[in-house]
Amino acid sequence: MSLRVTGLSVERAGRTILHQTDLTIGAGERIALVGPSGSGKSTLGHALTDRLCGQGGAVALVPQSPDEALDPLRTLSFHWHEAERALGLPADSERRLALLAALGLSNADLTTRPWSWSRGMQQRFVIAMALIGAPKLLILDEPTSALDPVIAAATMKLVDRHLAASGTAMLLITHDLGLAAKRAERIWVLDAGRIVEDAPTAKLVAQPASAVARALVAHRNWAVLPC
Amino acid sequence: MLRVEALTVARGGRRVLDSVDLALAPGRTLAVIGESGAGKSTLIGAILGLLRPQSGHIAWNGEDLRAINPSLVMQEPRAAFNPALSLRRSVMEPVRAQRLKLPEGRLDRLCTGLELDPDLLDRRPHEVSIGQAQRLGILRALIAKAPLVLFDEPLSALDAVTQKHTANLIAALQREEGFAALVVTHDLGYAAAHADEVVILRDGRIEEAASAETFFRAPQTDYGCALCEAALALGALERAA
Repeated sequence: MSLRVTGLSVERAGRTILHQTDLTIGAGERIALVGPSGSGKSTLGHALTDRLCGQGGAVALVPQSPDEALDPLRTLSFHWHEAERALGLPADSERRLALLAALGLSNADLTTRPWSWSRGMQQRFVIAMALIGAPKLLILDEPTSALDPVIAAATMKLVDRHLAASGTAMLLITHDLGLAAKRAERIWVLDAGRIVEDAPTAKLVAQPASAVARALVAHRNWAVLPC
Repeated sequence: MLRVEALTVARGGRRVLDSVDLALAPGRTLAVIGESGAGKSTLIGAILGLLRPQSGHIAWNGEDLRAINPSLVMQEPRAAFNPALSLRRSVMEPVRAQRLKLPEGRLDRLCTGLELDPDLLDRRPHEVSIGQAQRLGILRALIAKAPLVLFDEPLSALDAVTQKHTANLIAALQREEGFAALVVTHDLGYAAAHADEVVILRDGRIEEAASAETFFRAPQTDYGCALCEAALALGALERAA
């Protein structure tokens, strides 16, 4: 079943950050929200999360940096139990083991604190926590920007595999159309708080209609390798 | 020419750089690539004389590197500026310290190229965005025409389009002025587009060193291959059809 939101908007200090926006996300659909810095991408992600939570829909948001999600003084095990409690779910060791395994954390020691883990492990743990409530939609806000490329690529592969198996939809927020085009089947282009384009990835890359989309397409890769 | 020979730096009894050799000629760009903890920023600190090496030698044309006042683009854009000073004062510091006469129009030209409104220079660091602070750091590093510029993750706070515009500006200026650029990055895409030479650093040692053309045609180590595959998976690089 698809998720539908109408009239989403955000104002701050009298300034409109996100103009009236209607959104539809199909079950299991992989969408990327792209746009330049300051266009309102993260604001849309947060507003969408709040609205869907308010409507009783299962949605989870993974912030850009694991620092925003993890308390350095608490163990990883504490974080996991807190997330279960917040969702009103009983502790379930089978679910925990399955999600940690899906994100490549089978051998991770949850009795330790976040700072004893690498950034890549922390980010994968935050993603695993976000999946506890079996959300219909997982929103990932620049999920690879804090990671080294090898770890980032491996993390995205694990996420893709899990989302495909579970039928969870994804909204990937990124300034990087190169990444978006690799990971999403549909692209929303945001410019100054308005979605100016909504198209299948292949169409947007081949025929960008707006100036901002044309700039993103022209600069989506650094270079083309000869083979 | 920059020469680093058998450079070893230890911290807390651990070698964070181990027998590193590299050379960089004027007008050329060397990309030093590696993951967090590989020793990339330590290498910059040692070249600038901020860290005392355990052994090894660093020189510019055989002489002390400090004589040429190399400039640096720091990794943390806001931490790079004194919060009590206007950005104009910080940006012009290399010009003032070396008692240079700034060619007319240079500041405006660099601001235009970096897509910076010159009025930003009258603000303090906390009054600009992190992306603007990063470009102001690049402006400061380029303003005094240093013969060697060290860039530590210089584009990390910029969006994809601004990254490419900024990298193109740096490359155009380098062609014109001939400075040597050592760029520490974990972005293989940047290296493929702009570097002449590539050094892969891993656990403080050089894993692979080659011309960019050779490296990107056929990386010789498993780790080099893994980096290229990751850059392709993340869309930083594309394969020819």
